[in-house]
Amino acid sequence: MQNKLSFHQSSVSLEIIGLPDYSNNENKDQISIISQWKLTIIDKPLIEGKVEHLGPIMNAFYIYSNLLIKNEIPLFESKLIDIKADNLHIHNIVLKSSKPNVKPLILKIGNSLLSDTINCFDQLNESPKVRIKKTDIPNNTPQKLGFGSNKKVKFLNFFMPPFIAICSLILFSSSFIYFANPFEKIEKKELINP
Amino acid sequence: MRKSFVGNNIKHSEFDALTRITVEMSKYLYPYIREILKSREDFKENSVVWNDFNGRFIELIKERFNMDSMKVKKLLNQAENDEIIIKSLLTLSFCISNQGYQKLKNFLHYF
Repeated sequence: MQNKLSFHQSSVSLEIIGLPDYSNNENKDQISIISQWKLTIIDKPLIEGKVEHLGPIMNAFYIYSNLLIKNEIPLFESKLIDIKADNLHIHNIVLKSSKPNVKPLILKIGNSLLSDTINCFDQLNESPKVRIKKTDIPNNTPQKLGFGSNKKVKFLNFFMPPFIAICSLILFSSSFIYFANPFEKIEKKELINP
Repeated sequence: MRKSFVGNNIKHSEFDALTRITVEMSKYLYPYIREILKSREDFKENSVVWNDFNGRFIELIKERFNMDSMKVKKLLNQAENDEIIIKSLLTLSFCISNQGYQKLKNFLHYF
């Protein structure tokens, strides 16, 4: 008897069918060996596939959503799936079949369906009942705007004003060299006290 | 960008707290965020929600933001603010999971 788990988000639902890994002493309701998955988007054709397709499709959606947010060119292409933006509101998904002579499935989804799909994948990733190779959410903090830069700014704010003050004092006082002539003073003293 | 005479830098702990609050609010407001995005997708048939949201957004900016700033002027320009609003709404809608806090933090670093 296979286990079935469903994840829902508004107009999208993701169904995972599989078995627990009894050799690992897993519970009856756990799924570790996925035999089938189905992604249902309302008013769109059903998307289903084998376990080896699930990871790459999830990754494609995650990478595409990241590109979309980070103002980079929203385009993802692979052997299995292509996703590109038609415009700001519509996304074009091309699912390519691994079987020969099968035409690719083309879907157009809006921002609302895209976020529903991402949230379904998030639920699957976070579910303790399904053990799959978890899709990594990018954790790398970019170098250009890390919060560490705040400390550098504070350090500079602390040391820069006195440093500039000292430099300007040196420059200002060095200009007095032109006004004060030490030999003139000696000559004057000699004239007063011969 | 805000109407303020004091230019305070946000502390790391405050940034964290604000991010957590934003994620928690996005979870509750997800149905509304989704409806606004959907309304913009089929604008010809269902423009009421988008127009309401956009109107209130501009109202709040005029009330609380410094109108002399060029960035604020860009936010008020209806021809240009579509992309900013949609990307902000999308960012919020992608961050409603349990790991949403980490996701939002990463997204914010790129802005």
